Amino acid sequence: MKHVRLLALTEALPQASLALAETESFHPDDRPPTETQLSALPGRAYRDLYSQAHTRLDKITRLIPIEPPTAIGQIRVVDVDELGALNDWLGKRWEEASSYEEDLRRLDDQERLVREQQAALQNFAHLNIDLGMLRSKTRFLDIYVGMVPRENLRRLEGAVGLAGYLLHSYMQLGDITHVVILGPTGEKESKLGPVLAAAGFQSLPIPEELDREPAELQRDLDAKRHSIAEQRQALRATLEAWAAPYRDQLLDARHTLMLAEPLVALDPSLRSAGHLAHLAGWVPARAVKALRQRLSESLNGAFELTVRNPRPEERLLVPTVPVKSRWLTPFAMLVNQYGIPAYGEVDPTPLFALTFLLMFGSMFGDVGQGAVIAGAAWWFRGKLGRFWPFGLMAGLASIGFGFLYGSIFGYEHVLPALWMSPLSDPLLMLSIALGWGVVFLTVACLLAIYNRLAIRNWPDAVFGHHGVVNLVFYLALIAGSLQLSQGKGFGVMPMVLIVLSLGALAAHSWRHQKAPVGEKILVVFIETLETVIGYVSNTLSFLRVAAFSLNHVALSIAVFTLAGMMGTFGHILTVILGNVFVLVLEGGIVMIQVMRLQYYEGFSRYFSGDGHAFAPIRFRRGLS
Amino acid sequence: MSHVADQAYLSTLVSAMSTRLFDVPLMRGLSQRSLQSLSDAFGLAPLLDDQPTNAARSRAIEQSLIHLLLTELRILIRPMNADARGLVLDWGRKYGLSNLKTLIRGKLYDLDPQEIRENLFELPSDIHLSGQELLRAENVLELLRQLEAGPHRHIARQAREVYEQQRDPFALEAAIDQRYYVGLVRRIMAFSNDHLASLRRLLGAELDRIALLWLLRFRFCYQLSPSETYYWLVPSMRLLTRERLLQLVNLETFEQVLKALPEPLDAVVAESKTIAEVQQRIGRHTSDEMRWVLARSQSGVARALAYLMLRETDLMLLFAAVQGQLLQFPETTVQIALELIEPTCAWDAHQAA
Repeated sequence: MKHVRLLALTEALPQASLALAETESFHPDDRPPTETQLSALPGRAYRDLYSQAHTRLDKITRLIPIEPPTAIGQIRVVDVDELGALNDWLGKRWEEASSYEEDLRRLDDQERLVREQQAALQNFAHLNIDLGMLRSKTRFLDIYVGMVPRENLRRLEGAVGLAGYLLHSYMQLGDITHVVILGPTGEKESKLGPVLAAAGFQSLPIPEELDREPAELQRDLDAKRHSIAEQRQALRATLEAWAAPYRDQLLDARHTLMLAEPLVALDPSLRSAGHLAHLAGWVPARAVKALRQRLSESLNGAFELTVRNPRPEERLLVPTVPVKSRWLTPFAMLVNQYGIPAYGEVDPTPLFALTFLLMFGSMFGDVGQGAVIAGAAWWFRGKLGRFWPFGLMAGLASIGFGFLYGSIFGYEHVLPALWMSPLSDPLLMLSIALGWGVVFLTVACLLAIYNRLAIRNWPDAVFGHHGVVNLVFYLALIAGSLQLSQGKGFGVMPMVLIVLSLGALAAHSWRHQKAPVGEKILVVFIETLETVIGYVSNTLSFLRVAAFSLNHVALSIAVFTLAGMMGTFGHILTVILGNVFVLVLEGGIVMIQVMRLQYYEGFSRYFSGDGHAFAPIRFRRGLS
Repeated sequence: MSHVADQAYLSTLVSAMSTRLFDVPLMRGLSQRSLQSLSDAFGLAPLLDDQPTNAARSRAIEQSLIHLLLTELRILIRPMNADARGLVLDWGRKYGLSNLKTLIRGKLYDLDPQEIRENLFELPSDIHLSGQELLRAENVLELLRQLEAGPHRHIARQAREVYEQQRDPFALEAAIDQRYYVGLVRRIMAFSNDHLASLRRLLGAELDRIALLWLLRFRFCYQLSPSETYYWLVPSMRLLTRERLLQLVNLETFEQVLKALPEPLDAVVAESKTIAEVQQRIGRHTSDEMRWVLARSQSGVARALAYLMLRETDLMLLFAAVQGQLLQFPETTVQIALELIEPTCAWDAHQAA
């Protein structure tokens, strides 16, 4: 990755932004330049115009949907004047469209009111009273029928009580309560108005001629709703007719805004002084030449491009180019859950993918169940998106180990094992798992050392956690243990190496402590003990790889034992349900265990994950 | 883990931060300090130097003090569980609501968007309540439609009435404030007994203060009817409960209301002649309750909230002192604003009643 600094004419920024977007290789660097003169923000006005125009277009197209563009068409410069003119035009169109939206809202309001009226009348239909009395106030009684938001009900009840009124709630629909409020006609009546307004009370008009048949009234209200629906349809048609001559222009507007987008994306990193504009960013080393060429063509040579290597203190600012392989993408997604590789750090994705498949396959080796996983991933590939190859490969790994173990849907004697069934030699399985753990931890330590050497962090590469001295200690410990298990004793050489490495670690720790002597001794002792215990327990942690492969066979045996107690139908059903159980439960647990080994035993040793992804400015996906 | 152990980290954090609260000599000295001395002591010099006008300086300082308060709020919520964090964030959302009010008022009166934007506080995303959509609305009707369709639909009806009937936005802003306090009460009532008593004491004192001041203002300044006054009040869960408020709003004079207050509020505000005087006295009483919770409560969240409320009071007093100097007010006026002396020239309750 290279750091580039582009100096160009301020007026040429739109051209420059298009050239940068076309190459898809420029990741902006938002830090201001060191030259204090370059303090103006030349892209701010452009960004504000773009933002307003974009909002207006979005609002218009919410009312009149237009086809999403399939290609960006000819690439051309959108200057600030053109953007301003487009923004004004969109402003006028939105003003017109907004009035239609307001009309639609009014119709929605009317329809809602009629619906509430229907509900209220349906409720009143059960009462044996003259509903005409509710329509207007009488000589002595003042009556309000209407709705109020439920949350305001209790306060309104208290408030109308103070004015000498009674509130009766007779129906609840969603967050709206239907109420009747009644009280004596008189001067208090005028005081109730502001309270009702404050509580959001909405009066429900009681229709004339309430002495008619309820069915007839409902028919009238249905007719009202029908009429509102017709008005809405007519309004939609008017809106369509209004929009017809503008459709092409709106589509053009969308294209124009897409062409303006790259310069807006560059805004935070743009600075200028008069006619001179400054822009900095990160470009992959292999893309610098093409970028320079494209800028030459676009700006006719009126620019200066300075390229340099990232400085050590900039390491965390340099973006990392993500993995592009389709097959590795799902594994990269899992790696990114932990963190994004920092610049210079080994991208763990390929190693993660390989070790994940090996461990998953060995712990869940079964031809049939693996085929189900792979088949399900393939079948649901539409829904799983970019994640489906992960399921497919996990299934294939399971199939591969299934052939090695001779296991199909738990049956151990149908397929001849290419190697052996795990349960036939559990000790061998456990030994292999331990060996795998040693290899895994050694590779993890080597990567940790490499990552530190890559950034010239020599002290940590040698003395840091999982550095050279730690690795020497660990390998000596393994060698000694191996000899011990073969009855040859621990051996002098491993012992010397262990003592020397632990001594070196303790001395290093002692030098870096700033505490009283007693505390230093305690810390150094605990740290040394933690190193010994940590490596031993981390290696033993890999026994789970063998344990789950044994567990898989044991579970299958349990299923077949149960099935053996049943009749033919029960046998088949138990085998099917047992396989489903193993697939879901054990499959899930194995997945979690493998992830745990990867994240805890692997990543925590060598992967910092504090980088950020390379995100170059580009035209929207699918357009360029 | 026991309740005390569970609260240990938060309580220690609150205790450490409590040393930042202003002591009495510092508070008393605020009104006597020059602008230069205030800006040097509280690191406000860059804010004062960078702004062209007094209004801009005042705004920048208010923004900076609120930013400081909310930064401390965010530090305090880190060790909290979801309920406690929700309560403290809800308390801080008053500044989001202030933005919402500014936005709606600005749009209703057709102010320039840039002017509206300049009057909004810059807030963290979890405190900021007004979406960009509202800011981008290009006319009042569009704003109203967005209110009706969005999370603020409960105030949309009041907003529409304000617009259509050309009414004062009082009802709208009162509805926003009322909903804020009702929401806080609901949050508190969901807490377990370990926290409930302290939170009731703390928020109860604050709600008693708010309810009494609103009652006096609505009844005797704005001349609202008892029923409308009652509607806008938020009952406290401590002294000024629903039943008590129903009784108080029906009284006809300022003195009758003060006399009818429950203990100890009656003694706190006894013989007060003006609402400003009541405001000062009950303000001090509420601060005492907050200090009690901060010093003695076992509940970490109640202590954190008490600290934030006291800190807010301190920072607003500092702001009042700076603003007094910016506007070159006499020292007596600044002292009244800082609640160091009782007001003598404010509104007379007798006349209004």
